[in-house]
Amino acid sequence: MSHLELEIQSLYRQRPRNHFVIWSGALLLTLMISSWFIGDFHISDFLSERHLTNLSRFLGELVPHPMHDQPFSLTLTIGWVGELLWENGLAATGVTLAISVAAIVLAGSLGALFSLPAARNFMAPDPFVASLSESRQGWGLLWSAAMWGTRAFLIFARAIPEYLWAFLFLAILGPTAAPAVLALALHNLGILGKLGAEVVENTESSGLSALRGLGASRLQISLAGLFPLTFSRFLLFFFYRWETCVREATVLGMLGIVSLGYWIQDARARNHYDEMFFLVLLGAFLVLIGDLISALAREIVRRYS
Amino acid sequence: MGGTSGADSIQPVSLRRGMGLRRILILIILGAGLWAFIQLNLTPADLIPNPGGLQVAGKFFSRALSPALTYEAEFVPANTQPLLWKAIQAAGTTVVFAAAAMSLALVAGLILGFLASTAWWVGDPAGGRSATVVFLRRSVAPIIYGSTRVLITLMRSVHELLWAVLLLAAFGLSHLSAAVAIAIPFGGTLAKIFAEMIDEAPRDVAEAYRGSGASSTQVYLLGLLPRALPDMIAYAFYRFECALRSSAILGFFGYPTLGFFIAASFENLHYGEVWTYLYTLFFLVTVVDWWSGALRKRFAV
Repeated sequence: MSHLELEIQSLYRQRPRNHFVIWSGALLLTLMISSWFIGDFHISDFLSERHLTNLSRFLGELVPHPMHDQPFSLTLTIGWVGELLWENGLAATGVTLAISVAAIVLAGSLGALFSLPAARNFMAPDPFVASLSESRQGWGLLWSAAMWGTRAFLIFARAIPEYLWAFLFLAILGPTAAPAVLALALHNLGILGKLGAEVVENTESSGLSALRGLGASRLQISLAGLFPLTFSRFLLFFFYRWETCVREATVLGMLGIVSLGYWIQDARARNHYDEMFFLVLLGAFLVLIGDLISALAREIVRRYS
Repeated sequence: MGGTSGADSIQPVSLRRGMGLRRILILIILGAGLWAFIQLNLTPADLIPNPGGLQVAGKFFSRALSPALTYEAEFVPANTQPLLWKAIQAAGTTVVFAAAAMSLALVAGLILGFLASTAWWVGDPAGGRSATVVFLRRSVAPIIYGSTRVLITLMRSVHELLWAVLLLAAFGLSHLSAAVAIAIPFGGTLAKIFAEMIDEAPRDVAEAYRGSGASSTQVYLLGLLPRALPDMIAYAFYRFECALRSSAILGFFGYPTLGFFIAASFENLHYGEVWTYLYTLFFLVTVVDWWSGALRKRFAV
């Protein structure tokens, strides 16, 4: 073997490999393939003759109903769209938007608050100061217990999906917008709290430990040091989560809160598929607008901070 | 410049602008929040349940630390499986739905993500300098790229539950339509993120391959894609976690995932059972959450 080949071989042996990643990928792949054998999925559920006639009937019913027995006309379409928007489309879009905004503002302010006690360096016995001996007794133990408690709460809050929280709150609070707002806020509080804690933990801490050295309290450090240092990054997450809030707020209506989902479910129950489809498109449009605003806001934050 | 006074030129403009922007943003956000609460007629009083709701809340939350281990119903048919076994089965079904959906979403995400990235037709990795290739890159490629972007956006902007409603109306209730309902928006999201990851992956290896005379396909498949792959795997895991939640929720539409049993137990006032299922879901999601977190940490080398 030539010298070059030997060198190539030794380089090949030294290539960076990550067994954990490879095995995780392999496991996910196995799981995905075996799910088709374990589960009850049959392609005939889509492609059998009965389902295809069902599909073509459904597609036929998507045609706006004024045009069922006459050719397409633009004026009729516009009239039909206007009527739907005026009846409940616009109001429901407003409610959907308001639910998402109320929820994200709530989740954002609480999440910023909760991110502090969930951050390891903030809850150290001496915050932001790398102590030589980690004290594991007395106050130190109490601080870390509070941190794990906060983390456990945040994990649970985000593990349960918004829709499920809303279902539970609805039974307790009755059919106002409150359960939807609370459910969205709770789930996103779990996510923003965790992401915020990561931001706090990754913050350049020399300035913060200097503050501590001057005798600043945790409150003073967070207001004077942490807040300006972490605000813009937290804001990026805030807008990113708002996008998902808009998406979810639409759907929560299906539980009986008068956002878009409520009227989608209502149209489905009355078998007015044309109406249902229009409202789904309206929801998609709202999501698109939300994504655009969020992308714009994030770009501004990125550029000017 | 001549007209400005001395005091103006000393002012640290960029710092002032940063402060101002932060203040403005906070005010806008709080103002939007206020508008939302007024629009919804939400007052603190809405957060206080009526006596009936309070009773439900009390009974429900009092079981938080004592989830049921056996059925709470007074009459349980003789051949019913134990509650815990049923919870495990429901968790298994939730995983199966999520995994099936993810497999469809990944295939769609990889294909659409490739088409929606710019690396295959803009810049060096795309390669190819013959007249036909250049012509194709300037004419056909942007059209494919653009229409894929539109398709991805359409897939993403309709929520998986709404896809489920549409597919239910179109094909009727089948397990396949549940998997497809999750797969459509997830495929769109994966495609969008994959495209960004491919485009932002380091080009070092690709350029080295190009320099040593590799073909475009070789540059792309061996130089570019492997650099983006770890990020893509980690993101796929994160989406799998999301798919688990969505799959659980589809139970509300009658599929035998965890959501179905949570809703049924809650409506039968068997709150202990609800917590059993909730903790099962919590466990499931947290394991995958931990896993994807560990994966991401491994890459940060």
